[in-house]
Amino acid sequence: MLAEGIFIYLAAAITILSVLVITRKNPVHSVITMLVLFFHIAALYVTLNAEFLAAVQVIVYAGAILVLFLFVILLLNLKEEAVARRYVGPWPLGLMAAVGLFLAIIVSLDSFVAGPKGAFTTEVIKAETNTKALGKILFTEYLYPFEVVSIVLLVAIIGAIVLAKKRLRS
Amino acid sequence: MTLNDLAPLIPLMVIAVSSVIIMLGIAFYRSRAFSGLLTLAGIAVAFITLFGVQGTRQVTSLLILDDYALFYIGLILAASFVVALLSSDYLEGRRENIEEFYILLLLSTLGSSVLAASTHFVSFFIGLEILSVSLYALIAYTRNELNIEAGVKYLVLAAASSAFLLFGIALLYGETGTMEFSRMSSGISAQGINKGMLLTGFALVLTGVGFKLAVAPFHMWTPDVYEGAPAPVTAFVATVSKGGVFALLLRYFIQVDMHAYPSLFGAVAFIAVASMFAGNLLALLQKNIKRILAYSSIAHLGYLLVAFLAGGVMRVTAVTFYLVAYFITTLGAFGVVTMLSGKERDADAVEDYQGLFRHRPWLALIFSAMLFSLAGIPLTAGFIGKFYIVAAGAGSALWLLVIMLVINSAIGLYYYLRIIVVLYAQPGHSEVSAVSSLPLTGSLVLVLLTVLLLWLGVYPEPLIEMIHRMTMRF
Repeated sequence: MLAEGIFIYLAAAITILSVLVITRKNPVHSVITMLVLFFHIAALYVTLNAEFLAAVQVIVYAGAILVLFLFVILLLNLKEEAVARRYVGPWPLGLMAAVGLFLAIIVSLDSFVAGPKGAFTTEVIKAETNTKALGKILFTEYLYPFEVVSIVLLVAIIGAIVLAKKRLRS
Repeated sequence: MTLNDLAPLIPLMVIAVSSVIIMLGIAFYRSRAFSGLLTLAGIAVAFITLFGVQGTRQVTSLLILDDYALFYIGLILAASFVVALLSSDYLEGRRENIEEFYILLLLSTLGSSVLAASTHFVSFFIGLEILSVSLYALIAYTRNELNIEAGVKYLVLAAASSAFLLFGIALLYGETGTMEFSRMSSGISAQGINKGMLLTGFALVLTGVGFKLAVAPFHMWTPDVYEGAPAPVTAFVATVSKGGVFALLLRYFIQVDMHAYPSLFGAVAFIAVASMFAGNLLALLQKNIKRILAYSSIAHLGYLLVAFLAGGVMRVTAVTFYLVAYFITTLGAFGVVTMLSGKERDADAVEDYQGLFRHRPWLALIFSAMLFSLAGIPLTAGFIGKFYIVAAGAGSALWLLVIMLVINSAIGLYYYLRIIVVLYAQPGHSEVSAVSSLPLTGSLVLVLLTVLLLWLGVYPEPLIEMIHRMTMRF
């Protein structure tokens, strides 16, 4: 009963906050609302026993990414943009896409009760906790792709520098 | 993972290492020629080491280096080599610090090669991200207004499509409990599977892949990005990036039988027909060569999907041959655009080509050959490719799709011929004809591409033989 109550509160809060994020005219308000939203999502992860995801959500999203957002908004000093017309296309199209996706998810999740299949069933994860299971598989089976992700970071760094600086000192 | 596993990965490692060498090299000695030569050498060495990989080698559950993967990696490397050659003269004088271009080019080639060898959703996604992230920077590389607009558009749409893709992968994993392609097919046929969730997963993955392949209805970004990107980068987006993704799509749906899911089959058939019509009809309205080629590439991906839907071994032959022809033709067409482009803007208006035959007969002939191949006129590789696609479609009795393909080829003929007519018309007044002299390397590359195009169009047996050998061991 208590768990259900918490879930209903979180679900409702997440929905309302998401709508608020995209409807605020002032980008700073949007970002602050998003911060609250991210904490609610983290709480939802905790109730689902996904403590690792919850920690990542708070540290990476709420901590790092949102601060970056705020910095960018403050640096750009968006006074005019704050009230300007938003760059959003025709809303019926967006609504159609959203309803379509919603229906697809409802249909697909309708009978999703069995829990994850494969090697990581609910019992296995309960026995050794999320963090441990994730760490184990990340540094054994997926060690190679984990290392290769550094190339994605390398590309991103080079790309950002090349685009941001007109002239690199030679 | 053992040392033994690393041996077949040498071609991929060579590309990654040469990009790092160039990066470190830039820190000490900045030179366009030096970086360019290192890039070409890296690609060439990687290409040669492909021949050292013997038999089918599965490296962990993530990558497989079989004949199919090696063939596609070879194709991708060859295309990158051509793009690297074309871009060296193009970039000169367009911005400072063009050395980093080569690092990004090599790394995106690496991403695309990883896609061609993937047998697992994890390697698929990482390969795709390496490819897309380097493309964001490559598209905006020369930093004029059009470039940056195209780069931002590609960034937003590619990131959104990656989100769809990830969600789809998550649903497929949740339902089958595995991310390996081979085990997924047995997971799908297992008892008590939730078909609704699987189909949603497939639909979302298809949406993500559809964005990368630029097939209708996910094609909106294509003309803008093609127009805005520097011409050699456009050639790269059209060939290397799409080739890798298509190779992966084909491999996935060889292992996971699509015919068991009529609705999935229907969705892909719809995408194929929509792409053919959207591409060809919208191309009729364009006055910009790059946009025409963009819409034409949408249509060509539609043709490829027709072959993709056909069953059996025939489809691998048809798709592979068509992709080779498409690579050669697209590189050639954008190569001509690259060569003619002035420093202020790319030569992308149709008027720029008016009377090209009078002052640059060879270039006009090469461009005509490329356009004929795109239209599928006999004696070019494009004709043989289209022939194989029709044969594959007819072999699987996909009559409706084949008829659509024939109708669309007829529509396509119109706008290709319109450009050819302009090429041989009276010269107009365009600043593009004032480009002083054509760079030598670019001219050689174009001649070579034309020879290949005609050779494959007249005598395709060696390539067909090669593809057959590859599919035998699949």
